[in-house]
Amino acid sequence: MSDRHAENSPLSTLRALTARVVGAFETVANPVTEREREYRRIVALCAPFSVLLLVAGLYPLSEVVRISVSTAQYESVGFSLDAYATLFGDPYYRRVAFNSLWLTTGTTLVSVGLAVPIAHALEKYDLPGEDLLVTLVSFPISLPGIVAAFMILVLFGNNGVVTAVAAALTGSRPTDLAFAVSVPGLFVAFVYSMVPRATLILRGTYAEVDSAAEEAAQALGATPFETFRHVTLPQIRPGITGALILTFRTGLAIFGTLVVIQTLVVWTLQLSRELGVGYDVQVAGAMATVYFAFTFLFTVLGLRYTSAEVGI
Amino acid sequence: MTPSLSRRFGRSVVTLTLFATVAFLIAPIVLTVVASFATSWTGVLPSGFVTFENWRAVLGLADTIGSQRSMGWSPLFSLPLGGETLSVLVPAELAFSIGLALGGVLINLVVGVPIAYAVSRYEFPGKEWVNAVSVLPLVPGVILGVAFLRAYPDLSATSFGLIVGYSLLKAPFMVMAVQSEFESMPLRQLEESARSLGASWPRAFLTVIVPNARSGIVSGAIICWALAAAEFNFSYIVWAKGTQPLALFLQRHISNSSFTKAAAAVSMFFFIIVAVTLLLQRVGRRGFDTRGS
Repeated sequence: MSDRHAENSPLSTLRALTARVVGAFETVANPVTEREREYRRIVALCAPFSVLLLVAGLYPLSEVVRISVSTAQYESVGFSLDAYATLFGDPYYRRVAFNSLWLTTGTTLVSVGLAVPIAHALEKYDLPGEDLLVTLVSFPISLPGIVAAFMILVLFGNNGVVTAVAAALTGSRPTDLAFAVSVPGLFVAFVYSMVPRATLILRGTYAEVDSAAEEAAQALGATPFETFRHVTLPQIRPGITGALILTFRTGLAIFGTLVVIQTLVVWTLQLSRELGVGYDVQVAGAMATVYFAFTFLFTVLGLRYTSAEVGI
Repeated sequence: MTPSLSRRFGRSVVTLTLFATVAFLIAPIVLTVVASFATSWTGVLPSGFVTFENWRAVLGLADTIGSQRSMGWSPLFSLPLGGETLSVLVPAELAFSIGLALGGVLINLVVGVPIAYAVSRYEFPGKEWVNAVSVLPLVPGVILGVAFLRAYPDLSATSFGLIVGYSLLKAPFMVMAVQSEFESMPLRQLEESARSLGASWPRAFLTVIVPNARSGIVSGAIICWALAAAEFNFSYIVWAKGTQPLALFLQRHISNSSFTKAAAAVSMFFFIIVAVTLLLQRVGRRGFDTRGS
């Protein structure tokens, strides 16, 4: 860096960069100051996680990217964008992508829309048995998608309770009313999985709301809705944005539910089908790559350009 | 002046939303458990109580039609007693998943606790990104499954492959649980007092910080264990042969068995989760909550 004439040449920039990287390694290996020792500790603390991330996450993903541009089925050789051409050119895959996006967007909005009043009631009102309510709302977080689908069959399937009650009231046949194995049923099953997660995030946000400002607004004559709109909402907005981003990610990742209720082909379901009959591993690799790139980008952009808080 | 709409109805509407959602989430769970003890469910409600036939069939204790879907029993270990061998049998899928999930939790402890400490205790450039990477799942199970099949074709379907996959998928929950515990602790004082009394930094971390964060670490381990035992998506993609993980066992019942038998299989899973939730509450958390409140 001291050589002023060569400062802008790419070679010297590279050399300076190398020197800095080597210098950083030396600092970590032989720390002199307390600050440098602290850096060594931070590196040591992050090391195990980084190894797992590299071995179990990033390396396997790089293999997926390589097979997606391979010219052969079973090994990564050559370079071809055929799989991506299929993915972006074939209207079938466009429809699959569209299905994923609208279903996840819709269920995310409904789930976060429900989670706001739920978190509000749990955090602001003195309800009897509040601890129990919190436990009950959180319980389904641990249920895999296949079980969520079964829950929807219990409620709205051919033998479902709601179906049977509705059939008894209206006098029509249960099979005409059952909607579990249909797109609306799938929608409800997604909401079943997503509401508890959205609630968990928003409860964390609500715990930090300044209640003195709310009480002041109430004392000055604001209605409960005005208080919520002008005092509470601005405070929980980062939490809501965070909940939207994370719930959307959760929704896109859902797969087990679709194995039970196969009424709409979304990205994850199609991805698993590519591995089955007809085995097209390049297209499967390309689908995985596109999925990863998409969620990565929108998460980074979401966190960068909004004040979203990420907690879970 | 008439009171505003929100003053009259706001609170009741919000409370009603809460109770309606809780009913929507919990009613099917209760019905499933009830139906698992019923002979049939063809009317509005299940009927023919109380029978344990479904449970026996699902747990592989009775020979019935479709018993190939039941839980297998395999010897955990054998004791040579005199001239005979006494084998201790355990439910195969259940024991298999319990073991896999425990392996995943062990890895999670090793990777999750240190990084949570780094983020809670120190200031460093790029801290926000380290935090985001450690608490956000990298990829969903389906994608990771495909990636494992490509990267480790021989290893991915083995127990070791499943354990490593589970640990990466569930690591964020461990990091969050431990981090929320760390954030409620005076980390700097603890570390500095230990060091001023002569402890080296690794010793201060292992013998002072970690034991003090016990409750967060234990609840993180329990959450990770339950989620790994229930992991379906990753298992579905990479599993090839042999004993199935628990989630695949559930799926083969949900997709193929009679309604009451599937209810028994799912109920068995509920009981495991309830046990885990009770354990969590003993450790001082409310349900599957990874944030300190």
